[in-house]
Amino acid sequence: MGFIIEGIRKAFQLIFTLDSEIFSIVLLSLRVSLTAIILASLLGVYLGFLMAIKDYWGKRFSVSLVNTLLALPTVVIGLIVYSLISRRGPLGVFGLLYTPSAMIIGQFILAVPIIIALTHSAVQGIDKRVRNTALTLGATEAQSAWMVIKEARYAVLAAVITGFGRVIAEVGAAMMLGGNIKTSTRVMTTAIALETTKGEFGFAIALGIILLFVAFSINILLHYFQSKRV
Amino acid sequence: MDKLIFKVRNLKKVYNNKIVLDVDNLNFQEGKIYAIVGPNGSGKTTLLNILNLLEKPDEGQIFFYDQEITNKSNSDTLEIRRKITLVNQDPFLFHSTVYDNIAYGLKIRSIPSKVQKSRIRSALNIVGLSGFKDRKANQLSGGEAQRVVIARALVIEPEVLFLDEPTTNVDQKHIDVVERIIKKIKKEIKTTVIFTTHDLSQAYRLADEVISLLDGKIIKQVPENLLRGEIVEEGGLKRFKTMANIKFAIVSEKVGPVYISIDPRDIILSYEQFQSSARNSFLGKITKIIEQNHLVKLEIDIGIPLVVIITRESFFKMNLNLGSKVYLTFKASAVKLY
Repeated sequence: MGFIIEGIRKAFQLIFTLDSEIFSIVLLSLRVSLTAIILASLLGVYLGFLMAIKDYWGKRFSVSLVNTLLALPTVVIGLIVYSLISRRGPLGVFGLLYTPSAMIIGQFILAVPIIIALTHSAVQGIDKRVRNTALTLGATEAQSAWMVIKEARYAVLAAVITGFGRVIAEVGAAMMLGGNIKTSTRVMTTAIALETTKGEFGFAIALGIILLFVAFSINILLHYFQSKRV
Repeated sequence: MDKLIFKVRNLKKVYNNKIVLDVDNLNFQEGKIYAIVGPNGSGKTTLLNILNLLEKPDEGQIFFYDQEITNKSNSDTLEIRRKITLVNQDPFLFHSTVYDNIAYGLKIRSIPSKVQKSRIRSALNIVGLSGFKDRKANQLSGGEAQRVVIARALVIEPEVLFLDEPTTNVDQKHIDVVERIIKKIKKEIKTTVIFTTHDLSQAYRLADEVISLLDGKIIKQVPENLLRGEIVEEGGLKRFKTMANIKFAIVSEKVGPVYISIDPRDIILSYEQFQSSARNSFLGKITKIIEQNHLVKLEIDIGIPLVVIITRESFFKMNLNLGSKVYLTFKASAVKLY
């Protein structure tokens, strides 16, 4: 019992003294996950929007495919990306394995289906009159499409935040693709896993508290945007 | 001023193998106000959507001035689409302020914000909502929202303004307001206005020309009390059932969907229900009284509005008032089938 209390005491000490190792890990986590989520949003919002408004061959299949991909386990993503970028893999020449870029790729793959699926349902939930109203007021096709996205803005933002919440908290792909290398690919989740097995509870709990704080903030933000959804 | 702004030739629109619109020849002149009347499902909205390039016809041609605009893509017709606009029957306001809503058409035309400001001010003025620019769209009443969408359409200074059933979803007070706005548009802006309504008297009050549609076709004259519904059989007897589920005794061989009309002169009014050979009798409330020379036209609500025309003499003798409850009696053979 004593080691837990000791760990918590140590954790607060590390947080309040702004321990440089802890904060470089936090910053790397944020950098990797934010980059992944920005890239995933650019693709995911676009595709989710197209899937909602366009009629095309295989539409139903693609919708169920994306929904299936929501269940993609992170270790499987890690496995697939690993086999592609390891030195023997087809993309091995780029030397991406065990770099932050590799983790970004993994998290990107994890987030894209989430953002596509949630954007798709957000745009589908938008009143069909939006597009016609924009067109009758003289909008071009692109302007009317933008208006639909704008009307769905809170729900689309909620999709992006949900994706971010998922990638910042995942450990499988980050571990397999980043390798948990100190100062270069060690992020919050992988550090917690390592430090706990090492018995460094204070360090692990400090990161755990920060990760919880990030996760809860994301949820509060998500809740706020969902309540604004009209 | 007699330039033709729209010409429609041999227009056909088919939904589910049913012809919903079949218009051989229809012209709209610049600067006039047109009312398109007809019961629900007569093709009014479809015609408006086609003229607005929101739907494509299956056959025929449409000309805007002398340019053919049928079956062109939205980007090809952008220039024309920007000269016309439609206010929907069930209007949609973007989730922002009244100001932003009205500004939308100007923004997408890249009109400088200074010009935007003054045009938005005068548009709000016309619809009588000067103080409303900072209101949130979702805080407006139905009637206010209707006026905002009219302002949003007027601000782009269209050459043709289409209004689909502008007074259907609003209360009596706002019906008067919207009618005043349409008159004002005619007097002050001289835009061509084409609106639909199922209220014949409103059409004649506001429009220079009334176009009647029935089952997708233009007809010469719309009879009063034109109703859509279906003929059903009940215990061996044929009944006409309106959309509002009110049943009339009729004389008919067939069953299925039909239009019927009842001549307003064939309806007898009384305070008490009386025994007679007439098989239709309904209790209703007088909602409108319009005096016309020797005759008085009454609108009576029996669940649906029916128009009844009686002489001035009987009107005064019966001492009828707004809100009076009276029985309407008419023979099954007074119901005309189409």
